Amino acid sequence: MKETPLSNCERRFLLRAIEEKKRLDGRQTYDYRNIKISFGTDYGCCIVELGKTRVLGQVSCELVSPKLNRATEGILFFNLELSQMAAPAFEPGRQSDLLVKLNRLLERCLRNSKCIDTESLCVVAGEKVWQIRVDLHLLNHDGNIIDAASIAAIVALCHFRRPDVSVQGDEVTLYTPEERDPVPLSIHHMPICVSFAFFQQGTYLLVDPNEREERVMDGLLVIAMNKHREICTIQSSGGIMLLKDQVLRCSKIAGVKVLEITELIQKALENDQKVRKEGGKFGFAESIASQRITAFKMEKAPIDTSDVEEKAEEIIAEAEPPSEVVSNPVLWTPGTAQIGEGIENSWGDLEDSEKEEEDEDGTDEAIILDSLKMDTGVEVSNIGSQGLSRAQVLTGTQAVRPYAPIVLSDSEEEEMIILEPDKNPKKIRTQTISAKQEKAPSKKPVKKRKKKRAAN
Amino acid sequence: MAVEMRLPVARKPLSESVGRDTKKHLVVPGDTITTDTGFMRGHGTYMGEEKLIASVAGSVERVNKLICVKALKTRYNGEVGDIVVGRITEVQQKRWKVETNSRLDSVLLLSSMNLPGGELRRRSAEDELAMRGFLQEGDLISAEVQAVFSDGAVSLHTRSLKYGKLGQGVLVQVSPSLVKRQKTHFHDLPCGASVILGNNGFIWIYPTPEHKEEDAGGFTANLEPVSLADREVISRLRNCIVSLVTQRMMLYDTSILYCYEASLPHQIKDLLKPEIMEEVVMETRQRLLEQEG
Repeated sequence: MKETPLSNCERRFLLRAIEEKKRLDGRQTYDYRNIKISFGTDYGCCIVELGKTRVLGQVSCELVSPKLNRATEGILFFNLELSQMAAPAFEPGRQSDLLVKLNRLLERCLRNSKCIDTESLCVVAGEKVWQIRVDLHLLNHDGNIIDAASIAAIVALCHFRRPDVSVQGDEVTLYTPEERDPVPLSIHHMPICVSFAFFQQGTYLLVDPNEREERVMDGLLVIAMNKHREICTIQSSGGIMLLKDQVLRCSKIAGVKVLEITELIQKALENDQKVRKEGGKFGFAESIASQRITAFKMEKAPIDTSDVEEKAEEIIAEAEPPSEVVSNPVLWTPGTAQIGEGIENSWGDLEDSEKEEEDEDGTDEAIILDSLKMDTGVEVSNIGSQGLSRAQVLTGTQAVRPYAPIVLSDSEEEEMIILEPDKNPKKIRTQTISAKQEKAPSKKPVKKRKKKRAAN
Repeated sequence: MAVEMRLPVARKPLSESVGRDTKKHLVVPGDTITTDTGFMRGHGTYMGEEKLIASVAGSVERVNKLICVKALKTRYNGEVGDIVVGRITEVQQKRWKVETNSRLDSVLLLSSMNLPGGELRRRSAEDELAMRGFLQEGDLISAEVQAVFSDGAVSLHTRSLKYGKLGQGVLVQVSPSLVKRQKTHFHDLPCGASVILGNNGFIWIYPTPEHKEEDAGGFTANLEPVSLADREVISRLRNCIVSLVTQRMMLYDTSILYCYEASLPHQIKDLLKPEIMEEVVMETRQRLLEQEG
């Protein structure tokens, strides 16, 4: 099936966002997505998830006769397949261009870099050598297939164990896994591909593009490197002109990223090794349980609301009656009207009222701490005992709406102004309102001040 | 900033909320529909071993002696006379390839397109070279199905002034089986926006133009800024359509209008929450039932 075309709006949106250094999933320009490596029960089987892109890698071995011109070397065979479940556009005969490109890149990265010691795969020179076959299957395509595939390939190779073989004169004995523990492959270094996507003719660059970003990119630069900062292969596609310093910069970034990824791989391999040694459970089945989307599912819990009425009545009896709500609009001047009563605008006398605010705030906090007994982490500046009476006096007569949303704010702003769509967005001093709220906790508060105010 | 978070909850099966009296006969590919040989077989069925077997997943419809299976989720299958909304994917020698959510791309021949000014003449080589000036890749058009080729590909035409390039608006992509076949698919809703219900499942919502442009011939897209009120109406309509789709209700002008009216008490962004969607669609369903019976 042909893939659905990207609409002009989406394309423009993505490009504009990239110009402003924003990515759709919130990553920074040089950030990779989460890499997750899980192993199967067999040696040499692994699944690598780079964000949502998933690649399954499987290594297998066979004894064959060597190539005529390389009689003492083993044979490596790499194969990447784009499974139809990866994307609707992948059909059995359709995606040849992409497939060829990916396969070639993978071969150059792994074979030409000589990361695997092929001499050690020789059993009897000229007669029997090991043929190592790496099969990679793309299970889900969400961008940046080559990175995920290269990680899967090298992880699978590191994880793989081949049967042990011993040669005594003319006799060759192949031991089964039960007789002798299988032996890991001899791997010199771990080459890992890092992809860079370029936009607007090379002006903007992103590391690890996801599927949407790949659709709007101009060109792609892939650098395969190992942790010793040796470049194994480098390829630029898409026909963009890159400057020398851009390529150098990319290689430096690739160096850093490859270090991180190599560490991750080592850790994953060690973990798996440990689990196997301790006899614990390993394999894909174990890792699936924690990945299920309903892992944190909550059933709908029935709540007993039989005693709420009494409690509510108690609270209402103790609370202050709400002030009168005046709903007539008042026209101040043509173009300025006010509905509901707010406090009079006191922008003129800033110095006095600000000091007043501070005191008010202190008393607010005191009231909160007393009545709610919560650790809000807010500083209490003044705990004045006359705070209560002052709060009663300064009733701001702001209409308190029953079902307003409760807002938790971590913002460092001192004052938070929430614009309600059906009200004048006037900047209104809220200190008295918050005081009032604590007196009548049955009515949900509308506006909040300061940090970390938790709702009751 | 305030964010709303939800924990994953098991999905409620649709039948609980619907409470249908007559159960639909649902089949999957390979199911036997009937062993009675007196029936004629329609779309979505085939005869195998003296039995009528379904070839698509959907509900069985029976009209006298004709049995057919209407697929629930399918690509668009063109019929002559359908209105479709499509996106240009390629500009080829004498035609455009249009994506209409069908198995094969539809074609819009240059000769099936109205020239600006409404002239009637043979298309020349200059017209061919100027094709990109009319429609580019990525443009949205509304068109009518002129013919269906033997392989299922659909040939479109825009031979009337009401078809042509679409300007500013919102596109909603739904399954083609949810769009009800009606006499007309261009509706001017009283709430202030217009909607084109494409049979291929592409629904286009746009602000009602003040005056009908006669001479444009559907080429010039109106790029004036749309007012906030219009935008709000269009957003609300889009959310209503999405709620109707999640509850698998048929889309036609009356259902969309009732849904819009039922959604007015809620804020536009609240319409995306599942509970409010259910509520609004329930109300719509009731109103539609009252209206019928």
